[in-house]
Amino acid sequence: MKALIIDDERLARKELINLLQEYHEVEIVGQAVNAEDAEEKIKELEPDLLFLDIQMPGKTGFELLQSLDAVPEVIFTTAYDEHALKAFDFNALDYLLKPIEPVRLQKSIDKLLKRTQKADPEEEGAKKLCPEHQVFVKDGNKCWFVKLEDIRLFESDGNYIRVYFDKFKPMINKSLNVLDEKLNKRFFFRASRKHIINLTWVEGIETWFNGGLMVVLRGGEKVEVSRRQAARFKEVMSL
Amino acid sequence: MRKRRLYWTLQIGGWSVYALVNLYFNGLNLLGQPEETITLQRIDVLIQTPLFFLISHFIVRGTAKKRGWVQKEFGKNIPHLFFIVLIAASLTLFVMNLISFLFRGVQIDTDFFSQMLLDTPTFVILYTGWATIYFLYQYLQSYNKSLKYEAAMNEMYLNQLKAQLNPHFIFNALNSMRALVDEEPAKAKVAITQLSNILRNSLVMDKKRVIGFNQELNTVKDYLALESIRFEERLRVNFDIHPESELFDIPPMMIQTLVENAIKHGVSKLMKGGRVSLTTTIENSKLKIRIRNSGRLVNEKQRSKRGGGYGLANTKERLKLIYGGEASFRIYNENDKFVITEVKIPQRI
Repeated sequence: MKALIIDDERLARKELINLLQEYHEVEIVGQAVNAEDAEEKIKELEPDLLFLDIQMPGKTGFELLQSLDAVPEVIFTTAYDEHALKAFDFNALDYLLKPIEPVRLQKSIDKLLKRTQKADPEEEGAKKLCPEHQVFVKDGNKCWFVKLEDIRLFESDGNYIRVYFDKFKPMINKSLNVLDEKLNKRFFFRASRKHIINLTWVEGIETWFNGGLMVVLRGGEKVEVSRRQAARFKEVMSL
Repeated sequence: MRKRRLYWTLQIGGWSVYALVNLYFNGLNLLGQPEETITLQRIDVLIQTPLFFLISHFIVRGTAKKRGWVQKEFGKNIPHLFFIVLIAASLTLFVMNLISFLFRGVQIDTDFFSQMLLDTPTFVILYTGWATIYFLYQYLQSYNKSLKYEAAMNEMYLNQLKAQLNPHFIFNALNSMRALVDEEPAKAKVAITQLSNILRNSLVMDKKRVIGFNQELNTVKDYLALESIRFEERLRVNFDIHPESELFDIPPMMIQTLVENAIKHGVSKLMKGGRVSLTTTIENSKLKIRIRNSGRLVNEKQRSKRGGGYGLANTKERLKLIYGGEASFRIYNENDKFVITEVKIPQRI
């Protein structure tokens, strides 16, 4: 698997490269010195795994992840950072504390390999976001990596989008229109100006006023499909 | 000062009210006594009140202050108070009778003793009341003060812990050292010594109020050397030290904390890195320490929002505790690119 190391300190990157030499499964394809640099290299190199420092000049590691459409596997690295540790502990994200213990690194990589062997994302819908892809969502001190297939609903709310999954509905700072273009149309449907629903989560459909529809999602949310979109919705669902 | 004023207000006001109330009831003449008795009673009140005033002030308060009763436990004071109230009451009785005896030609007869029997409990009650109010106030006051003092101490202690060596720095330094062990073993050895110097000095901080300037300067140099390993070309360091600086004593880890702030909030936030310079000069026999670093100071509100500002507040507090108003502290933006931190320290104390 292709890995990108993101850390502003040369020696920290070097130390990690040294430690990773033993792992033939992990191929280091590049290094980035800050979030901006990382964004470019992620586009260019399409890594499967990021080793990501949190505190960097410019954007932090978290902010970098929030700006990405699809997020590869991530192992955070940090020296000591109360804020980051809180976020990690909340959702059991994988992280390594610097100086990194070789045994801990071994564990992280084993866990990662086990997980990625199971779900090898098939190449489909060319470049579109697929259900297996994950996004990074951060809301205050809490953060999640969420697979798109687990997201029931995107709802626009001012400049933000509310993301419904599990029992959470945190906000992300993106526009619904931009997101709509990136999402795979086979799974995600633009129900109205305000909503994008995940079709695999649809539980029931009711007719509504003015020829519109009311879609009920597993999870209980009810979303109105505008008249204009209702015809298209029927088309997609009858497939 | 406020406490003193309150005491005098209550002392004068209280006894005046006592006298006025007495005179008022005298005037009402509820018992229908002859005019002569009323006049005598009025004169009594006018003599008694200043007497109460003087005895409560000089005898009761004076003794309590001299013996330091206020500082003692309340329970231990009860016998003392009982005793002093009796003394005060007897003294009042004695003086009153003396005056009556000398100026009014009062005979020592049964009337005289029955009057004494009537007066004694009145005086005891009055002085007991006085002592109760006085001591109750003192105890409440000192209890309040001790609570406030304790809270302040706790707060300082907590903040001190927060301002001590930043764990982020220690672990990052160790991480760079790990990489350095392969790359430049000699440099790694030096770095280990530097880190142990810093750790040792940060332990000294708990025990000493001040240390020699040079000792602190060495810590700062070690600290900046370690950060230079970590930040490499992104950190540029400058020293310009006045030779007489070594004659001054400064709080341990003070410059270190300020330089650490300069890096944490300044240089490390900049992609291209930046500069930290430490300059000392001597002005009006005060040591002026000046730290200039790349970066920009955010206003206080934002700072406290990010949970910062402890380092600076702590430094100010320490300076105030050690030097009183003699030392000064200032941090400001020189321009868009540089922040200046300035501390002035007086001659040895």
